[in-house]
Amino acid sequence: MEPLSFSAVSSALPLSKTAANSKATSVANTQNSFASFLKESINNVNQAQNESDVLTNKLARGENVDLSQVMIASQKASITMQATLEIRNKAVEAYQEIMRMSV
Amino acid sequence: MTIFNSINTTASALTAQRLRMDVISSNMANVDTTRGRLVNGEWEPYTRKQVVFQEQEGSFTSHLNAARGNTSNQAGGVKVSRIVEDETPFEMVYDPENPEADETGYVRMPNVDPLREMVDLMSASRSYEANVTVLNASKSMLMKTLEIGK
Repeated sequence: MEPLSFSAVSSALPLSKTAANSKATSVANTQNSFASFLKESINNVNQAQNESDVLTNKLARGENVDLSQVMIASQKASITMQATLEIRNKAVEAYQEIMRMSV
Repeated sequence: MTIFNSINTTASALTAQRLRMDVISSNMANVDTTRGRLVNGEWEPYTRKQVVFQEQEGSFTSHLNAARGNTSNQAGGVKVSRIVEDETPFEMVYDPENPEADETGYVRMPNVDPLREMVDLMSASRSYEANVTVLNASKSMLMKTLEIGK
């Protein structure tokens, strides 16, 4: 195994002074990009749920859909939902960890 | 979504095997059908049908990735490219009582062999089961991934 090296970090350090000026904007940017990423991901999950709903409805109405397709869509929806739950749990955990900080 | 690649591949196999099952059931149902198709004013018996499987073309993204030298995501699904008719000659059965019999007393019966159809049926249903197993394994892998760090 390679020994740990901090060369990447130390080479980045001199940059941090010049980057300090744009710190505020970069934080805002990061927050923005994270928010949009989260929004997009949740939209994807919602889309999977909707797809599963539409297929289930079609099956119930007796339209021409494959049972396997319906099952697979519902499984996909379930997996993406579980992933979202895990991410939410992690986020809430991190928040609670911060709130427990003694000041 | 890339995490569902294997599930999508398996889904294509499930659909293909389903169609194969439909074709087999059609063959089985028409094992005694003497009036399958009207050719030049004369009835021809049912002709056995077979499916032809073909590997599915990858998506544009997978081709682009391959062109850029990324080896990931080369997996392709399966599709039924066409349904062909069996060319073997019809079976001639001596049955003068049959209303479809010709002057010599022979009836032309479909070229469907029920035994062979049963074997195909088993093959299709086993293949379907195998693909469901792959799908379940794939799902349990994803679910295990979600347990990382718990």
